[in-house]
Amino acid sequence: MSRPAVNRSHVNRSHVNRSQVDRSTVDRSVAGGDAADRSPPNRSGLDRFTVPWLRPVTAILLSAIFFIPLYLACVNVIKPTDKISQSPASLPIPPTLHNITAVLTRPDRLFWASLTNSVEVTALSVLVLTVLSAMLGHYLARSRSRWTRALTLVLLCGLMIPPQVILIPVAKVLQVAHLMTTVQGLILFNVGYYVPFGVFVFAGFIRSVPVELEEAAAIDGASRMQVFWQIVFPLLRPATASVLIFLGVWIWNDFIDPLIILGPGSGTTVTTGVYRAIGQYQVDFGSVFAMMFLATLPVLVFYLLLQKQFVKGLTGGATKG
Amino acid sequence: MLIYVCFVLAPIAISFGYSLTNYNPFNPPAKYVGLRNYRLLFQDEVFLTALKVTTIITLIVVIVPNVLGLGVALLLDKRGRLYSALRSVFFTPIILSSVVVSVIWTRLLDRDGPVNDALRALGMSNPPGWLSDPRYALYSLATILSWQMLGFCVVVYLAGLQGVPTELLEAAAIDGAGPVRRFRTVTWPLLAPALTINTVVPLISAFKVYDYVKVITNGGPGSGTTATIAFNVLTTGFDANHIGYASAMAIIMLVIVAIATGITLRVLQAREVDL
Repeated sequence: MSRPAVNRSHVNRSHVNRSQVDRSTVDRSVAGGDAADRSPPNRSGLDRFTVPWLRPVTAILLSAIFFIPLYLACVNVIKPTDKISQSPASLPIPPTLHNITAVLTRPDRLFWASLTNSVEVTALSVLVLTVLSAMLGHYLARSRSRWTRALTLVLLCGLMIPPQVILIPVAKVLQVAHLMTTVQGLILFNVGYYVPFGVFVFAGFIRSVPVELEEAAAIDGASRMQVFWQIVFPLLRPATASVLIFLGVWIWNDFIDPLIILGPGSGTTVTTGVYRAIGQYQVDFGSVFAMMFLATLPVLVFYLLLQKQFVKGLTGGATKG
Repeated sequence: MLIYVCFVLAPIAISFGYSLTNYNPFNPPAKYVGLRNYRLLFQDEVFLTALKVTTIITLIVVIVPNVLGLGVALLLDKRGRLYSALRSVFFTPIILSSVVVSVIWTRLLDRDGPVNDALRALGMSNPPGWLSDPRYALYSLATILSWQMLGFCVVVYLAGLQGVPTELLEAAAIDGAGPVRRFRTVTWPLLAPALTINTVVPLISAFKVYDYVKVITNGGPGSGTTATIAFNVLTTGFDANHIGYASAMAIIMLVIVAIATGITLRVLQAREVDL
């Protein structure tokens, strides 16, 4: 299943490069008047029978509609609470930082406790997952036995299992191990649940790394562990980046698993914290919005810093099928 | 691997085991009841409603973001600062947590929220409570999911469009194909892999939707108008403690997802051509 997929991704990548080059040459030839009466091939053909400003205007208009919810979230963070319920869509004049400071200085430290938990869960889960799935992916991609192929298939099926299906028994297993309502339990569950994704990404990538490199290192006397950590793992950087980015965001934003596994008493992550904040004070939407903002901020910064990688990872996974 | 077995494979087996019993931790002992849970489920009004609700949501969330996403992707597939800024707008919801999205939209669609304010300004005297009226709640929920999924579809389609070789479009243009025909005969077939992703991912994620339901409507308004199967599995299992019954639901859910995904993959991948 993944063999032809990998090939396809190669083909696609080369096409991207080529078409970019081609596009620039086409543009130039059109500008030089070479195209004569033939209309230049537009990517979508929209420009041909419409006025030139129609595309940007439509694009801006659509994006604006799409942006409304995000706008609402942004302005309400810096608006006093009474204004939020009165006129949620109005501009925040004058802006206030009251909501944010209120959340940061809450007496029960809900936000700080959530943040600590979230950071702990996300960082540890992602770390363990990256190492584990890189090694497992490497093993599965290099071994050719029937058993590993069956194993790969089983792992791939894991990609589409809804968490609800397994949460009830998982809760039982964790209870038996005395890990229910602990951060460690949640991390363990995350590792199990997300390992198929990591393996899937790594295995697909490892197939494109020439096996000769490893053989050469082995001949030079490197142990299997050395080969993996010193030769293979550094080559996997793009795959590691996608795994880190995706699992990081998913686990950070995860709601249902922390809600059930961490349980009501002991702890919250930022997402369940927001959920609790809604329940606790119905009226104080200022705090809720501020809390959401603070909960999203780390991901947002992460995203803005790595936007290119992000989109590449997403589309890389997409074209790989 | 061991962890995977412990937390994914074993639980599925255990779930299936539970589904054959009337297990309830507050009402031991558990008895083997065979397929009774499954039989009961298919006579259970609540479950059948949930099945219907889930199907409607899934259909909307698969179709709407695909249609709109393709349009937006075609619109934004241009170079330039403006377009890359607008692309960022569409990408942003992908990184937002479901809870955050839910809260924002709850405010937006509130009875006195901005949407209704706007409708009133346009002269509608009594706009509906989008989330509190049983007639609309389900569709509002699907809209919210579609909004977030739209960003994903746009990204994937844009990537697909980048992969369409310009020389094919040029050749088609020289042969006299108009823009519509070029799209239909060149671009669209080459977008097949993107379509596959954009069908399967929303399909799987819409089918298991829980967090939005939990935060936005909690299954209501009324009884179960927006309760999805995933939502019912967890309320029956953890709140009502009917673990056997909930497990049967979960297993049915898994089977449906597996079959739907399998069929979709098979049909759509057959369309994909290797360049």
